[in-house]
Amino acid sequence: MTILVSRLVQAVVVALLVGAATFAMMRSLPGDAAWRIAAGRYGYDNVNVAAAEAVRAELGLDGPWLGAFLQWMGDLFRLDFGVSLVSGQPVIAEIGHQLGASLWLALAAVGLSLVIGPPLGILAGLRPGSLFDRVLLVVSTALKAVPQFLMALILILVLSVQLGWLPAAGYGQPRHFILPAFALALGLAAVNARIARDAMASVGAMPFYAFAQWKGLSRAQVLWRHGLRNVSVPLLTYLGLQFVLLVEGVVVIESIVGWPGIGHALVHAVFARDVPMVQGTALMLGLGFVLVNALIDLLAARIDPRGAR
Amino acid sequence: MTAAVLPRALPTGRILVAAILGLVAAFALLGPVLVPGDPFAQSLMKSLAGPEPAAPFGYDHLGRSLWHRLVHALRLSPLIALAAVATAAAAGLVLGVVAALRGGWVERLLVILADALLALPGLLMVLIVLAIMPGTATGFWAGLSLVLWVEFFRLTRATARATLASPAVQAARLLGFGWPYVLRTHLWPEIAPLMLTAAAFGTATAIMGIAALGFVSVGMRAPTPELGLMMVELLPYWREAPMALLTPVLATFALLLGLTLLAGGHRT
Amino acid sequence: MTLLSATDITVLDGAVRLVAPVSLTLNPGEPLVILGETGSGKSLLAQAIMGTLPASLRATGVVCIGGRSLPAGDRAAFRGLWGRQIAVLPQEPWLSLDPLMRAAPQVAEAHRLVRGLPGGAARDRAARDLQALGLGAASALYPHQLSGGMAQRVAIAAARAGGAPIVIADEPTKGLDAARRDDVAELLLGALARGGGLLVITHDLALARRIGGRLMVLRDGAVLETGATSAVLSAPQAAYTRELIAADPESWSRRVAPSEAGQTVLEARDLTLSRGGQRLVDGLTLELRAGRILGITGPSGCGKSSLGDALLGMLTPERGQITRARGLAPTAFQKLWQDPVAAFPRTRPLGQTLRDVARLHAAPPDRIGGLLDRLRLAPGLLARRPGSVSGGELQRLALLRAMLAKPRFIFADEPTSRLDPITQRDIIGLLADLARSDGLAIALVSHDPVLIERVADVTTCLPMQEGRKSARDAAIRRKDRGMERPAILR
Repeated sequence: MTILVSRLVQAVVVALLVGAATFAMMRSLPGDAAWRIAAGRYGYDNVNVAAAEAVRAELGLDGPWLGAFLQWMGDLFRLDFGVSLVSGQPVIAEIGHQLGASLWLALAAVGLSLVIGPPLGILAGLRPGSLFDRVLLVVSTALKAVPQFLMALILILVLSVQLGWLPAAGYGQPRHFILPAFALALGLAAVNARIARDAMASVGAMPFYAFAQWKGLSRAQVLWRHGLRNVSVPLLTYLGLQFVLLVEGVVVIESIVGWPGIGHALVHAVFARDVPMVQGTALMLGLGFVLVNALIDLLAARIDPRGAR
Repeated sequence: MTAAVLPRALPTGRILVAAILGLVAAFALLGPVLVPGDPFAQSLMKSLAGPEPAAPFGYDHLGRSLWHRLVHALRLSPLIALAAVATAAAAGLVLGVVAALRGGWVERLLVILADALLALPGLLMVLIVLAIMPGTATGFWAGLSLVLWVEFFRLTRATARATLASPAVQAARLLGFGWPYVLRTHLWPEIAPLMLTAAAFGTATAIMGIAALGFVSVGMRAPTPELGLMMVELLPYWREAPMALLTPVLATFALLLGLTLLAGGHRT
Repeated sequence: MTLLSATDITVLDGAVRLVAPVSLTLNPGEPLVILGETGSGKSLLAQAIMGTLPASLRATGVVCIGGRSLPAGDRAAFRGLWGRQIAVLPQEPWLSLDPLMRAAPQVAEAHRLVRGLPGGAARDRAARDLQALGLGAASALYPHQLSGGMAQRVAIAAARAGGAPIVIADEPTKGLDAARRDDVAELLLGALARGGGLLVITHDLALARRIGGRLMVLRDGAVLETGATSAVLSAPQAAYTRELIAADPESWSRRVAPSEAGQTVLEARDLTLSRGGQRLVDGLTLELRAGRILGITGPSGCGKSSLGDALLGMLTPERGQITRARGLAPTAFQKLWQDPVAAFPRTRPLGQTLRDVARLHAAPPDRIGGLLDRLRLAPGLLARRPGSVSGGELQRLALLRAMLAKPRFIFADEPTSRLDPITQRDIIGLLADLARSDGLAIALVSHDPVLIERVADVTTCLPMQEGRKSARDAAIRRKDRGMERPAILR
């Protein structure tokens, strides 16, 4: 219960931070921002002073900043994000539109990383110091040193430009998933594997792991009945923290392969100084982190009864 | 975790780290001394031309020397990264010790703030700060510092809490030692190795971030030579001049590999 | 007919021989106790017989169990014996149960997977086993909800579920209160019914006495003497065995207090202490006088350490008063910890730490040297770090450090509970000497009532407060570092 309360506090502070940051962003828009926004909204031919003034007043671009700030935060906590400065559509609708594409990509990447990383990590953790353990250490360290955008670049060059197996960009068909999902998953898997390996090695060194074998259980039975459960708790908790890494990757990779998701939209919004869109997206991502971690807290408390204490 | 659980550090590890980082640093510092030149000078005649004595790595699509552009790029982002890490480490160290020593609402507020920042993707925060701050380099420095201090704070606070509650510190207090002595002889030896790891890791994160944003065209602006920006500029010419693209790719990988190894293979 | 015989067992670390060739036999119905101090090789010997030695060590010799003869070096061959021929009891029962599995399934799984019973029958058997040990209500609990004694019984049921006739127990009383020692002996002797065998490895003379049977005294990896347990303990042949028995608090003579009591150093009136919302001490009054030793006993978690924190000014009492004698420096109140390694900065050479203290208290330059002599410590130790000095030496160095501050009062919190008996006697003897010669007031905490009875001039027994049992178990568990969540999570 206290876990959920602290997650709630976290969510509120996340909203405050996002609100404050985007408010500062709004106030720092250059002088002709209202003009530019009006132009984006109505087309360059239709902009006049009145339209720009209307935009200026609507956004509170001038006037005392405290009142503007309170109004800004009030709107935020009523979940009123306003309309996109670029498209003129409500921010909520825009995000709803893009969220699905990003979710599928993220799920594919996480699923893939879980298939690759933890099994290899557990195998290495069962025999710490073995040749396999050391090879995995080298491979995972090298993979971790490759940023996700570089991984995407390499995969594009090798798989689509040179070999022509996969499309470099695009969306809509299952094969479009392969490249961006792998670009994200390899880095995540490298870290997953390390976490699983360290967890397995420390579980394997615990007295209860040896005792289960002394009871007469075979290695496989001990791993299955006592190893995996105990490894899963740190792994789960780590997955929650990895969410941020995943989101960063999604933002960058979507922009590279032209994936019509929330990350792509965010980069566009920052580029166009579309503050309401930035705010809505940032809040969505921050609250997504809190939600995912609250779910993981609950799951971990179910698996590990000690956590509830 | 006991030493037996962790894999033995690769015996060649230290030498490898020193060699990689030493090579990159030597290139960045001595490059223009060995081969003088200008990273911005264009010569469209030499567009995508191969290596020659004045430009040992050849030329990019605008006929600028890749050697000199790479030198500039390998000075720029590591410098920003180190400045941000230094700021973040100092802030995290001070706030972490203060939180552990004072406890109460000071600690609670700092922890809540750090936890909330942890929920926001770092690159996103950097993007927003970049939009607020006037200069791109200072924007990166401020944004990255804002993101990176959290890790230093968490490490310092956790270590300081455990150490300050230990019998060793109780003993020192009973013997009449003041807090400066306790912080210097008890806390710092425990924190220092963690700081080094976190600093190497933070520097790698910062360099990755600068390059990633450059690559998707929302970071450093052309014509500044920056690793990610160089890659995206040279990407269309992959078929004609693969080595021109591979030059910044390999340099980035070497730099990040060196820092990741320095941070220790098992850090998350 | 012998159940188990081990012939010429040696344990080697590279070329270093840790256990000299040792042979032993185990007969049905007759327990065998291997007695020795830390580093005597007794655990290594047992591990070699069970095939559980760490991978870095090598064993030679032959072990015959159940009609099969196995080379001790062939680790894999022993796997099939675990649970079926030998039941291995773990040292720390709490850490030996899977923290994420309820008690009953941890027993049932051995019935099902080792003995081959179908699932339902295995569950029934496990329920009956636990019932027989008085644990019927505990079968649905997780290990962290069990008390230490309950965890030990669950572990015994789980170890024996596979039907092994031979029970091997390595230090089964490690970390247990004196009162619980007898329960453990009772449980172990139960294994002897129906022609079973029992091998107990321990440093605990009282446990050896309770187990009886035959005794084998081990030192530096070699057998010093063997014989019937009662005979060896009443008439030891080897000098070392005599020393070991003399070091047992049971054999100490009572300390004679100085006839004249010194002045009062510290006084507590009507002291009430709470920690974490739990009432620990209620209305305690005590007085500490120079030259006197106040003994403090009580079960684990009754607030002994919190009392020390309050007397030393590190915990504010909820009610009551603590008065220090006038004119004493704040640093005249010092403490010794149970785990001396944790009481020194980990990475600083010991000499440097001591010189810092000497400088702070303006001690004359030869003060450290003089105290080293007096506490029988080699000057060479000062160059080392806390982790590479023996527990007994480090506790004496901690005493030396406290003496540099010219103390009038020392709170000694279980200072010897992790030390071997002979070292324990030395340290307690030093403390008693200091009390007399330097007029120190000492509060000595111990869970061993016999020790307190022999040494203390006045004794306070802290009772367990009502409703404190669950909190006590939580406190004990916190001290079991292994039960904490993995470091990754912090």
